[in-house]
Amino acid sequence: MATETEYVDAGEAVDFRNLSPGYVGSAPPVTKGLGYDRILKARDAEPHNWITYYGAYDGQRYSPLDLINTSNVKGLTPAWVFQCGSMGMHSGASTYSLEASPLVVDGIMYITGFDGWMWALDAKTGAELWRYHRASPYDVRLCCGNVNRGCAVADGKVFMTTLNAHVIALDATNGKLVWDQPYGDVRAGESATVAPLIVKDMVIVGSSGGEFGVRGHADAFKLETGERVWRCYMIPKPDEPGGDTWPAEGEPWARGGANCWTTPTFDQELNLLYFNTGNPCPDFDGGVREGDNLFTNCVVQVDPDTGEKKAHYQYTPHDVWDYDSTMENILFEMDGRKCSGHFDKNGYFFVLDRTDCSLIRVVPFVDRITWGEIDSNGKVTPRVFPDKEGDPVHFWPGPAGAKEWTHAAYSPKTGLFYAPVQDVGATATRRRREFKESIPYWGAGVAVDTEDVAGYLSAIDPATGQEKWRFRNEHPMTASVLATGGDLVFAGDPAGIFRAFNASSGELLWQYTCGSGHHSSPSTYTVDGRQYIACPVGYGAWTEGFYPGALAQAGGSAVFAFALPE
Amino acid sequence: MAATVDESVIEGLAKQNGVTIGRILGRGNVGVAEEGSDGKMHGTVRIPLDELVFDPGVLVLPHAGTLELEIINDDNNSHCAVLPCNGDAKFIWLVNFSKGRATLELDGPGYYWYGSRTGNDEGGGLTGTIVVGGEVPDEAKPDRPPQPRP
Repeated sequence: MATETEYVDAGEAVDFRNLSPGYVGSAPPVTKGLGYDRILKARDAEPHNWITYYGAYDGQRYSPLDLINTSNVKGLTPAWVFQCGSMGMHSGASTYSLEASPLVVDGIMYITGFDGWMWALDAKTGAELWRYHRASPYDVRLCCGNVNRGCAVADGKVFMTTLNAHVIALDATNGKLVWDQPYGDVRAGESATVAPLIVKDMVIVGSSGGEFGVRGHADAFKLETGERVWRCYMIPKPDEPGGDTWPAEGEPWARGGANCWTTPTFDQELNLLYFNTGNPCPDFDGGVREGDNLFTNCVVQVDPDTGEKKAHYQYTPHDVWDYDSTMENILFEMDGRKCSGHFDKNGYFFVLDRTDCSLIRVVPFVDRITWGEIDSNGKVTPRVFPDKEGDPVHFWPGPAGAKEWTHAAYSPKTGLFYAPVQDVGATATRRRREFKESIPYWGAGVAVDTEDVAGYLSAIDPATGQEKWRFRNEHPMTASVLATGGDLVFAGDPAGIFRAFNASSGELLWQYTCGSGHHSSPSTYTVDGRQYIACPVGYGAWTEGFYPGALAQAGGSAVFAFALPE
Repeated sequence: MAATVDESVIEGLAKQNGVTIGRILGRGNVGVAEEGSDGKMHGTVRIPLDELVFDPGVLVLPHAGTLELEIINDDNNSHCAVLPCNGDAKFIWLVNFSKGRATLELDGPGYYWYGSRTGNDEGGGLTGTIVVGGEVPDEAKPDRPPQPRP
């Protein structure tokens, strides 16, 4: 019948974005000429922008902007809201979440979403200037949801990673693809969620896949062409430095983990990247990988020119609690000393001398720590861990940690760190299993507590390790913190409430209910002399891991831009 | 303990208004795209009369790249397709007895769902898959020995 039918010509399928009212299709060339030199001076030279993931290379998530401050923040209201929605059958259909930090360059916002979305928005109005949607395989292995943490901008381009482990460069004026480099093996369980970092003439990225037994790595590509510059595997081979911290038998190093799924920080003077590495594999079964398992759960100094590892500090040697150390290492100065601050999943706050990664101070920052103890010299004593096959063991913090990847902030104005804290325990039962590529490789059954949980936003003095103030929340705090020159600290929570606090006292000054939980990294900027606080909202991801009590929290896909009335 | 499945139950899942109201997803024929001399792959899917499915329901591409897809609506109802493509999804409206084309760029390996978004066609059975086979390029996985697979 079909061959006899006189068909109507349906034509050529069109780009779906052209069916979106108000879609512009282009953006001003604001990132042309934006390069390494500008990013180095980002905070001081152009505080109206937020041009790199943490706002600056030091990872402080601090903006000196003070138009919104303690005296007027109570007047903050939404200036605009951008909604992206979820369409069709996509991977992680129940776990999509907005986790990005919006970048802003001279009035143009660049932000990634779940499932391969990238948007350029008018930062003043929220109008969609252009979009790019990377088709993501439905079956890509994702341990922790359909998410992406953001983009990088430089040299007229926008850079992002894709769920199926590519790094791509887009033309910043129209979203068209410039180059595309696969840098991970999806058949092995690798994926990519990290926000790239521009250093010199390179774009730096890292791997995801820590629950699938992959060998974690960081990669550098030429930002102009996508040509590979280096790869740095974080698990050494047996004959490499650190190789003796793994069993000699078999190939545990080839499946050992240490993924780099959050953005590193960077010290230009020392010419060092500070990578944050993930858990060893299998997560909970240490019996198949005796030893310290370097360089899992570490901060690792890496030479950005060669990809060579320099010094390191391991926060949890021989981890059997899934205590990734992928959360940021914030660079700051203290008494003339170059330091880094790091809140680890294991519940301890570490201050290091970042020139050589030596320990200056370690203190607990969460109330309940039962897995073990770290003394003031950094000596680790494990106490409770999944050891015997089939024997359930309960410990605090759970595998999402006392602080997850969501970032702390540091205010040079107050000299305080601000950390989102999760006081949540879990039970793990060791179940040894055979390694098979692409199959989850945990080595345990794990159930995270749904009751007797708490959360807080803590202000901590790195000079003493003392907590200066605490905002207690009935829910774990699962979103990044933003500190500003207006003596304010902003933080969202799983119930959807976005709050502003006095940075010195912790007094709650303002709050707004956004309708879905927060699991992203807000940023701030000004356009035409008006300051905005940009906050992606939309709960999901690895909720069963960091707060299963919020599994039924409404999904969402909005970017709020808050401002004072004009 | 589950009861033995009667053959009629299986058949009733693969048609309209059988066991289910529509046709359960993930069933249907499997087709393979042909690779042309231009390096592009070519495939055709049809919407047969009153079946509310794409046929083949699974179109396999041997590797990542460009797919030139022909879509034919042999049904006496209007449908559409929102198709996966790097850059942005592609949309085509398909009135009764119409024929159209789409050029799709897809990565591999992995598979992608697509569907007709009108009138819950997607739930009724008009949800198909494009499967991209192959391996990721060697340059994406340097210096990693082969590992055991399931």
